[in-house]
Amino acid sequence: MGNKNKYWKGIGELTENPELLKAKESEFAEQLPTDIFASDAAAEVSSSRRDFLKFLGFSVGAAALASCETPVTKTIPYVFKPEEVTPGVANWYASTFNDGNDYCSILVKTREGRPIKIEGNPNSKITKGVTNARVQGSVLSLYDGARFKTAMAKGAAADWKDVDAELSKAIAAATASGKSVRVLTGTVLSPSMRSAIGEFLSKTGGKHISVDAVSQYAIRKSHLNTHDKLEMPTYHFDKAKIIVSFGADFITNWVAPIEHSKGYGIGKKINKETANNLSNHIQIESTLSVTGSNADMRMACKPSEIGNYVVALYNALSGGSLPVNGKVDEKGIAKIAEWLKANKGKSLIVCGVNDVATQSIVNEMNKWLGNYGSTLDIETSSNYRMGNDDDFTSLVKEMNDGKVGALIMYGCNPVYTAASSGFASALSKVDVKVSMNTAPNETTAVCDFVCPDHHYLESWADANPRKGHYSLGQPTIQPLFKTRSAMESFLLWAGNNSSASDYIKWYWAKSVFPMQGKYMDFTSFWNYSLHDGVAEIGTDVMLKMEEGKKEDKKKEETKKEEVKTAVTEEAPKTNKMDVSAAAAMIAAEKSAPIELIIYEKTGLGFGDNANNPWMLEFPDPISKVTWDHYITMNPLDMKGKYAMLERQDMIGDMATITVNGKSATLPVFPQPGQARGTIGISVGYGRTALGKVAALAGGFNAYEFVGTNNEGTMHYSAPVTVSDATGEKFAFACTQQHHTMMGRKIVNETTLATFTSVEKQHWNETEMVTMFDSTGGHTKVEPTKANLWDDHKRLGHHWAMAIDLTACNGCGACVISCQAENNVAVVGKEQVAKTRDMAWIRIDRYYSSDMSKDKAHEEGKGSIDMYLEMENPTFENPKVVFQPVMCQHCNHAPCETVCPVLATNHSSERLNMMTYNRCVGTRYCANNCPYKVRRFNWFNYNGNYRFKDINPTQDELGRMVLNPDVVVRSRGVMEKCSMCVQRVQEGKMKSKVAGEKLHDGAIQTACSQSCPADAIVFGDINDTNSAVAKMAADERMYHLLEEVGIQPNVFYLTKIRNSDEVVSHEKHQNKEEHKGSEEHKEEHKEEKKEHA
Amino acid sequence: MVKPCKSQWHRNTAIFTTLALIFFLNISSALAQLDGKKIYKANCRSCHYLDDKSSTGPGFQGLSGKHPDKEWTFKWVKNNVSFAKTDSKAAEISKLTTNTMTVFEGVLTDDEIKAVIDYLYTNPTEEKKVDVAKGGSGATTSEQEGGINPLYLVLVVITVMLIIISALRSVKRNLQNTYNEKHGLPPLEELNWRQWCSRNKRTVALIVIVTTSYGLQAGWYALKDIGVYTGYKPEQPIKFSHKIHAGENGISCEYCHSGVLKSKVAGVPSANVCMNCHKGIEQGPTTGTDEIAKIYAATGFDAATKTYTKTPQPLKWNKVHVLPDFVYFNHQQHVVVGKQECKTCHGDLTQMDVAEQVSPLTMGWCIDCHRKTEVPGMKDNPYYEDLHKKLAEKYSGQKDSIITVARMGGIECAKCHY
Repeated sequence: MGNKNKYWKGIGELTENPELLKAKESEFAEQLPTDIFASDAAAEVSSSRRDFLKFLGFSVGAAALASCETPVTKTIPYVFKPEEVTPGVANWYASTFNDGNDYCSILVKTREGRPIKIEGNPNSKITKGVTNARVQGSVLSLYDGARFKTAMAKGAAADWKDVDAELSKAIAAATASGKSVRVLTGTVLSPSMRSAIGEFLSKTGGKHISVDAVSQYAIRKSHLNTHDKLEMPTYHFDKAKIIVSFGADFITNWVAPIEHSKGYGIGKKINKETANNLSNHIQIESTLSVTGSNADMRMACKPSEIGNYVVALYNALSGGSLPVNGKVDEKGIAKIAEWLKANKGKSLIVCGVNDVATQSIVNEMNKWLGNYGSTLDIETSSNYRMGNDDDFTSLVKEMNDGKVGALIMYGCNPVYTAASSGFASALSKVDVKVSMNTAPNETTAVCDFVCPDHHYLESWADANPRKGHYSLGQPTIQPLFKTRSAMESFLLWAGNNSSASDYIKWYWAKSVFPMQGKYMDFTSFWNYSLHDGVAEIGTDVMLKMEEGKKEDKKKEETKKEEVKTAVTEEAPKTNKMDVSAAAAMIAAEKSAPIELIIYEKTGLGFGDNANNPWMLEFPDPISKVTWDHYITMNPLDMKGKYAMLERQDMIGDMATITVNGKSATLPVFPQPGQARGTIGISVGYGRTALGKVAALAGGFNAYEFVGTNNEGTMHYSAPVTVSDATGEKFAFACTQQHHTMMGRKIVNETTLATFTSVEKQHWNETEMVTMFDSTGGHTKVEPTKANLWDDHKRLGHHWAMAIDLTACNGCGACVISCQAENNVAVVGKEQVAKTRDMAWIRIDRYYSSDMSKDKAHEEGKGSIDMYLEMENPTFENPKVVFQPVMCQHCNHAPCETVCPVLATNHSSERLNMMTYNRCVGTRYCANNCPYKVRRFNWFNYNGNYRFKDINPTQDELGRMVLNPDVVVRSRGVMEKCSMCVQRVQEGKMKSKVAGEKLHDGAIQTACSQSCPADAIVFGDINDTNSAVAKMAADERMYHLLEEVGIQPNVFYLTKIRNSDEVVSHEKHQNKEEHKGSEEHKEEHKEEKKEHA
Repeated sequence: MVKPCKSQWHRNTAIFTTLALIFFLNISSALAQLDGKKIYKANCRSCHYLDDKSSTGPGFQGLSGKHPDKEWTFKWVKNNVSFAKTDSKAAEISKLTTNTMTVFEGVLTDDEIKAVIDYLYTNPTEEKKVDVAKGGSGATTSEQEGGINPLYLVLVVITVMLIIISALRSVKRNLQNTYNEKHGLPPLEELNWRQWCSRNKRTVALIVIVTTSYGLQAGWYALKDIGVYTGYKPEQPIKFSHKIHAGENGISCEYCHSGVLKSKVAGVPSANVCMNCHKGIEQGPTTGTDEIAKIYAATGFDAATKTYTKTPQPLKWNKVHVLPDFVYFNHQQHVVVGKQECKTCHGDLTQMDVAEQVSPLTMGWCIDCHRKTEVPGMKDNPYYEDLHKKLAEKYSGQKDSIITVARMGGIECAKCHY
């Protein structure tokens, strides 16, 4: 049967693009990089056979000579070894991560006194042992060579003593001239730090103002309207059965993403018995966020319309008739209202729009539903996002008026993050400008003095993220540079010489110890808290104490004058806004033809870690683009105007966007699910003063476009005009180029109703393969039964991994965790664009497509048309699925059979082993791997000059982050996920030494440990009681590309989307099968004829 | 520092004998039981000798006479600091010297302390140091200084033979020429070497074949030797003698290389470990005060005032056993779990003044051992229980039924390479 159909490789070929046709003639789509190995210069030098023999002789001789000399390796032991350090054994310290944005209680792994890995602290009742990608990456920022080495005065390195003296003189001079002192910080969760700032301000007089890079001030302010409290509630996503989110990307960015993603994950972790507990998540948003892509139901709308949806939902819930401007999806709203009404007290409505009116209505709805006290808590409130937009605006005004004599900035970068508010020009009117940032940024560049703080891994700290919840941070390494704890700086300037550790201890003895009732003496309380990293104090006791304190405070405050230590409690009491007033304000908002939405990326967050190469190369969970800054736009809006990046084409067009006269030219990236008539750009790019890596990423500072709305809060959307393609082209470095599954069972997905009501074969049918027997007949058998090889009887452990696709939210914590654990190289944009990224674990993201096999059947479409259309995702509002893919450790691994040197083979514990020192780099294994998880070292990334600015391991400092238990791979070898074999071996060793059986959960891979949703589970499947064995036996279980018959050791669990729709594949599949067998019969007939 | 290349055969036989010897020694050595002598050697010997000589602490001769009450001694050993607070006799003794004795509470169990006291009350004496004094040739020395390499002998014989042959030839030639001259025959023609070669093709071929194959063989062995540093014996910044410390004084290996029980690396001891004893011992038997003064310099110790006053200077030792970066080796696995003796791989350090690499540390050497060795610690370890049972079943019918490391998966790549 000859195939007469012509298949095109791309659109270019179909349209007979001459360039492509020419390129088609050559075997490789791109030139092999031979120029690097044999350049023109090398080719010009003619060398004869004789020369070759001479070289050969010389090199053999040289090698022989060199081998006679024993290389001398020095070893330098400690002079006085600290008692707790054993070389070769890791020490773990409990500490706290808090950069003003994310809070996380952590455990720091140190080896020989240097921190190399961050894990979550399971003792914390807030973050419950999980982390996110940014926290995982923060360990690398410790070893950032760009950090300040000492104090700076007027841009030059200076002695700390001189700086202190000059600074106090300057502050005194400024205050003497009648000007005031201001301390501007990001959110300071540390109560001791707030107290230290208070001490400083009580000496100089002045005020402490908080500002967040991405503000959520409206949430606090709206609670002033509805609850008389300028506070941030605590959200319990784990308790919510219905979650409605209006533009809040709570899984990766909004308020407390680590806490939320853990809670959200609990609601998504189900089995057959608990299936009805599956939470139902509705997202209404403008740009496709990680949170939105996990939603069971998603609606896309313009940023200006979100308020309308909120009001419409309020109307539907309360039966009211507040004015709704513009059209909303009435049916959808009615459905949501119905669900919410049925789940009073078990639902949660959150909103990411920084607008007081919208937030107030959301609060009213939560109140009406009885959610306060169950799914969100304003009594035990959180301290995240203390930034106060009102205070900040008045500060800028004060500065402009020349009333501010000295401004000390700590934990914030307002020149960059408040670029639109005229902060930079106002700052130039301040006499003394001080920044305490650890590394250079846009603010330190214009400051008179820089008094660099320690990195958080070098300093003492504490945090109070939620009422009654305290945590401690301790140094895990000696300060690398001559920096000084910011707390000590403030104290020193206040005339208090105590060290940061003493001060925190003093503060805890004074304020935290009396609240708890567990320990009798402070020393044991302190020691246990430091050991555990957290001190969770009973809320009841604490609340009583708080009330007592408030009364005391009131008394005190009458005495004190201008001193404010924290922003809480005492905001200007504005006139309260009632619901109708709020609705009127929302209705007054005008929509524009094209609106811009400013969002935070999962990797860069608000932009503080933009000089961290791990975070820049981290593929965005949704777009999968690395390194670059871009405009997201719905492909339907792009059609005919910009390059659509179809079929692996990664060359995009540039466009200029203009907001309020400010414009930026950025490449346009097609983003399915982006609301029509909107574009999105992320913050964190366009850095001017950060370092080499941030400079490589380029881009534009999106904070320039942030506006202020009527209520004085920061507004993260704006009307925008977008130019046509400028003609300039831009090459994206994207790690995924196929966006749909083309009707295959890659991510198996079904609905809750199907899962609970229909038999397994209708939604998780095992792919069968056809086996022919000697008589000419054939049968359908399970792929495991069609084997080329005999099974080995293997005893002992059988390591396996199970991945629950319902729980996985695609956040990417595992990707960075793996990178840190396994010394995965950073390769830079150019290499990523050539699909040479080195990540051992990737998260595939697929969009749904409008075309399906059923639909094609109905419409009578041929397969080519069908598959062509299947390649296109649903542009308007696709369903999104995530799938983490790492080496599947196949028991019948195709890579193992093709390795000519046996560098990759199978262990008795069923791991697919990769031996770097044996590998000769034929790359046969990578070609034969159906999952494409093998990575080849095209260069020596750790030594090649091309990667000097990109790869952190190329300098002495960055190299310190490497895990000494994992080999750093060199050029010419293959590498891949080892299932963290170093951890497996370590875990086994611990059990052997202790003389006990290995218990389930004792060994965790880097990805499984850091997963905030517990989606990845690792263990021994031969232990029938293990979690992984139970998951593998679940009826949701399937293997990726099962039909290939290679028996992977990674088990995927079918994704369940919460929907009442019952979808059955039975009808369709039966038909296909039938058709298939007929075809086979025909074939056989023909064969028989031939034989005859 | 680098020794001349030795014959491969010699080396292999030597290694094999060493391994075999050590292997048998291992098997015969008694397994874990409370041996007071052993405990003494590991924990007390570094400060107390068995005779009346005092070291950091007093000698043990006549201990049972001095302190007849075993109970009292037990309390003293267990925690002399707290005991001195309650007991007057103990308080008196503790005032005798500025050195405080180690507190063994938590280091040794009560039973272990009792065992060591029982042993000491039998009035043991120092073991004779005859072997050590002789500096005896251990199994590890494959070549003796002053000995003649047989290769040189052969060369000498060949040279002598060649000289004799050429002399005889020229004699024969002269005689022939004289004879020819007398009988009017033409003299023998003078052959240059080319002509000679073309007339003696068989001899030439033989020589070529012999030299080529010898050259290839030598080359092959030379290549196999690349990166193998058996016999590497670098000079160290301090002339530390394992023979004196581990041999004569019987300090256990784990006392200084304490990482061996807890970590993948045994570790070069930090200078403060040296100071545990050398705070008191200022003079050594061979080098006097010179070498010990280097420890003082490193730790910033002032011997006159017995205080640490100066800036410490780290010591830069030369690493003897160097494994490539792509190999993961764990001491804890071998010593604690596998119950292997240090000398299995490191040779008998008690006989070495300068530490020397005695094993080739090649992968073949590792695997050889893993193929032959049955892990002594495996049977009693609950971790291995299931696996051991299953493996025993699997190999029970076979001729060679011992469960070696290899049979447990100990020669798989990812056990050492990751």
